[in-house]
Amino acid sequence: MRTTLAFHRNRAIPKRANRVATVREWLIAFLFSPDSDRWVALLRLGLGLQVALYCLSLRNDWNDLFARDSNGFISRELTEAILTLQNPLVPRLGWFVAWGSYLGLTEETILFVTWICLLGAACCLLLGFCCRTSAIIAWLLHLCAVKSGDFVAYGMDNFTTIGLFYLIVAPLPDHYALDWKLWKPRRQDLRRLGFQRRVLQLHMCLIYFFGGITKCLGTGWWTGESMWRALTRPPFNIIPLPLLISWKAVLPFLGIAVCLIETGYLFFIWWKRTRFIWLVCVLGMHVAIGLTMGLYLFSVIMIVLNLAAFGPGTFAGQSERFRLRRQEADA
Amino acid sequence: MRRLYTAACVLLLHLFLVLAVSCQQTLWILAGGYTSLPYSLDKYWYKAHRLITALLGQTLALSNPVREGITAYIHSTGIEGGYGFFAPGVPSSYKLVFELHYDDGRVEYELPRVNGVAAGLRFTSLLDQIGRTHYDPLREVMLKMLAYSTWQEHPDAITIRAVFGYVDVPSAIDVKQGKKESYNFLYAYDFSFPSQSGNSQTR
Repeated sequence: MRTTLAFHRNRAIPKRANRVATVREWLIAFLFSPDSDRWVALLRLGLGLQVALYCLSLRNDWNDLFARDSNGFISRELTEAILTLQNPLVPRLGWFVAWGSYLGLTEETILFVTWICLLGAACCLLLGFCCRTSAIIAWLLHLCAVKSGDFVAYGMDNFTTIGLFYLIVAPLPDHYALDWKLWKPRRQDLRRLGFQRRVLQLHMCLIYFFGGITKCLGTGWWTGESMWRALTRPPFNIIPLPLLISWKAVLPFLGIAVCLIETGYLFFIWWKRTRFIWLVCVLGMHVAIGLTMGLYLFSVIMIVLNLAAFGPGTFAGQSERFRLRRQEADA
Repeated sequence: MRRLYTAACVLLLHLFLVLAVSCQQTLWILAGGYTSLPYSLDKYWYKAHRLITALLGQTLALSNPVREGITAYIHSTGIEGGYGFFAPGVPSSYKLVFELHYDDGRVEYELPRVNGVAAGLRFTSLLDQIGRTHYDPLREVMLKMLAYSTWQEHPDAITIRAVFGYVDVPSAIDVKQGKKESYNFLYAYDFSFPSQSGNSQTR
């Protein structure tokens, strides 16, 4: 009896050890699969464009938004006082204004210099010049602007901060950057590139899953009521009301589609067969949000993050498949 | 390889924080009874929400270095908010109207003005923030700042009344029957600026 038990125990231990080793291998293969730097290039270019558009869209309101005695908005002092209560370590524009005052610079000058530096950093990102420094400057100044104007911030600002954070920790420069041509840096660690892309992919999955699941929990998205409210709510009411009424019957389907696309993203974006269609659906959803609700910057940043996370490989793989099919058909 | 694993641990910790913050917001929505789930579950969601809040160090003292560190990190990486935009439903939009009272008894109505589309979107966020604020003195200060900028354009107004409310958009069927959007009153504050002292009242 003892012999049998000992025999079974000895067999069970290697079995469990094998299983642990298999899981470990799978996890390492999943997290550290070698990847190219095309996603970094997409992220860099996309964020450069996003930050440049952000700066240009606010060029007339920059001082009104962030000045101490703001005209039309909430004073920066109030926002920063509340931020200090929450956490004194979070970067803000007030720090630069205080440092500038030691040099005898006015608040207006400092705010203008900040705007110029942010736009400059965005242009450098687009060119791929001094990538890391530009990414850090863009992240810091954008974060300061967002935090100093916390009352007027919305989802787009958070997503831009998220993207810039991933960019500053990403292995820069990429092959398409000017830096690569100028300085000829060392070869990149492909596993590091793969791992960081994986983190961005997992983050995107969490974003859509939680966004989708909370929508699914409300009845409005299933009945089309939330779609109606979203499209008629000022200032997102771009579509004329008569046109919207004539398309009323489609709204429940669109609402359900939004719930399914967002919640299903976590599952279907990983499966090779559904990845392409799911990515196209998500990109289509963001294009539609931009066009029908006027949330252009929000759409741009979401498209950039999606393309960086899942674009390389998906679209290239799909076009390769189409090419092969055409070749087969020709033959 | 060791450096890579260390970086992996740090980034996985980052993902854990993303997950925790997202769960916290979802559980807050569930605990608040804003969903179609049974109310009997609310207490469990609330308990889970409290657990996640404690896990994120938000039950510690404000000056606690652990709390300060976590808060600074999640703010700096842009992960401090959840992702439940327009969820579980789309809220009503808020509206602010200024009532300008002149010496001769004249009354004018003015809407807050912004320069461009981007500023308009941001102003909507600001109105949402004011609408969500439960702390009355803060709401009053925010409205006073907005009223002040209107007063700068109309310096001869003796009193400015800031009327804050929300707009109820009718359903598609109601619109078809000719129903228009309605404005619902929430708060009103009176401000007088010439003496540089805000004299405010809540109605």
